[in-house]
Amino acid sequence: MFNRDTWLEIAHTVLSHPLRTALTGVSIALGVFILVVMQGLGFGLQNGVENQFADDAVNSIWVQTGRTQLAYKGRQANKQVKIKENDVEALFAEMDTVYSFSRRIRKWGVQMEHGDQVGSYAVRGVDPDHQMLENTKIIDGRYINQRDVDEETKVVVLGQTIIDEVYKGENPLGTHLTVGGVLFSVVGTFNDPASRWENKMAVVPYSTAKKLFRGGRDKVDQVILGTGDMEIANTITLTDRLLGWMKERKSVHPEDARGVWMENNNEEYQKYQNIFLGIELFIWGIGLLTLLAGAVGVANILAIAVKERTKEIGVRKALGATSISIVGLVVQESLALMLVSGCLGLVLGVGLLEVVSPFVDHEYFQNPQVDFRIALVALGVLSVVGVVSGIGPAIRAVSIRPVEALRDE
Amino acid sequence: MVSIMGSSGSGKSTLLNILGLLDGYDSGEYLLAGESMMGLNERNAAKYRSRFLGFVFQSFNLVGFKTAMENVALPLYYQGVSRRERNKRALNYLKKVGLLDWAEHLPNQLSGGQKQRVAIARALVGKPKVILADEPTGALDSKTSYEVMELLRELNNEGITMVVVTHEQDIAEMCDRIIKIHDGQIANV
Repeated sequence: MFNRDTWLEIAHTVLSHPLRTALTGVSIALGVFILVVMQGLGFGLQNGVENQFADDAVNSIWVQTGRTQLAYKGRQANKQVKIKENDVEALFAEMDTVYSFSRRIRKWGVQMEHGDQVGSYAVRGVDPDHQMLENTKIIDGRYINQRDVDEETKVVVLGQTIIDEVYKGENPLGTHLTVGGVLFSVVGTFNDPASRWENKMAVVPYSTAKKLFRGGRDKVDQVILGTGDMEIANTITLTDRLLGWMKERKSVHPEDARGVWMENNNEEYQKYQNIFLGIELFIWGIGLLTLLAGAVGVANILAIAVKERTKEIGVRKALGATSISIVGLVVQESLALMLVSGCLGLVLGVGLLEVVSPFVDHEYFQNPQVDFRIALVALGVLSVVGVVSGIGPAIRAVSIRPVEALRDE
Repeated sequence: MVSIMGSSGSGKSTLLNILGLLDGYDSGEYLLAGESMMGLNERNAAKYRSRFLGFVFQSFNLVGFKTAMENVALPLYYQGVSRRERNKRALNYLKKVGLLDWAEHLPNQLSGGQKQRVAIARALVGKPKVILADEPTGALDSKTSYEVMELLRELNNEGITMVVVTHEQDIAEMCDRIIKIHDGQIANV
């Protein structure tokens, strides 16, 4: 059934009917093309949004404070809530396990000098785990370590933008940099491709920042808690519990949304993942329906073709063809047509994405590509559709008795 | 060489279809090469057809998108003969019916008589014992009709049985025997 002769016969039949072949081929190629392009676009959207999350570790809870909105326990509203170091320690005590953490101090508009270059950037005082929690990629050197924090060393890790603007190509590692009037040694450099903002930062040990930029004042701007490999559901209950506890401790009204707030990245990420799942199903739905529409068109064309070929099939039977060989002919014909035009649509779709991809760079849309698996699935679906849509007309073809097929009208 | 005559609806084509194993039969007996053809399955019917029978039709029934040579070679394709061998034998038979120069022509480039000769070559290529011709001259003018009958006659002399269905008296008279069918019954031999 699959010898060279059979294929020559099929190729001959297909090529002898250019209009029929073209109509069928175009409808299938278009279906696959749309499926592939839609997949690519969906993938691009997903890449873009996922990249937004790459800025921070997904498994983390962020604790922040602000001004109260409601009066509570004899305190007026509009009071700034401050996190103290002993609050952080008490918070750790409230948790069963502290997987990782970092306190954070922020200072905007700090002047930095190296040689004759001067610039104004933000400084962050952090604990060592901050690197992991902020998803910072070290380019060269090292990050802040525990010894730095314990000994209040004057070391700084610089973001890519500062290096570009202040150092202008010079290797900053091991050099000295004046930060807010104090001399620091540069121990590392980082690049956070997901956040241009982050690259305009200089990172120093928490204790050093507290001493130099806060005059030793005990105020933590932000606390980041890593949740390790905790289940998402557990992180949600943990966040709720910690938030309630923290509000009580800081005398913030339980309904107050601004005084103390916590952001659970796990939960946010899950929400987005659900949205992606929705988008993905939607795209698959549209793609498969397009493909189906193409397949229905093909089945239709095949049905007409078989009617047109009633005589030919009758002749073939009279000349010694078996029913199986005729079903084989029609099914293989449709299968061959589907696969060839399907591959064509696939190549065109992938080609378009490849051509367009380098020109597309938007925060929420990056790198549109098609997964090889999707291409395979599309081809698999096509083959099934090819066989199924070929079988109906084929069975009709052989059920025509040659007697009737060869009768003159 | 036998001719079958009868008015339309008398059952002559049904008889031809049964003889050609294109249709089954319910009663009676049909022996082909000494074997009963009763209750034959599709595959075996196709096998016997390709081994013993050749068909010639009123409307030629050539496959429109195949050349004369490819049309002649088609039965051999179903017998599993290799392409090269198929085409060689097809050309032989085209030569026999005098159409060697038209081997690469498509059916719509041929005249009615030429088409019927291609059809006869196609019936012959499988080396059949019997050729069943259903109104072989029905679509041809009388001069061409006689030429085609002459060709069938020659082949008969070479030892191939001819069964010709026709309703033209002069065509029937060119055969050795005339069988008349009336309302499904053989009325006159």
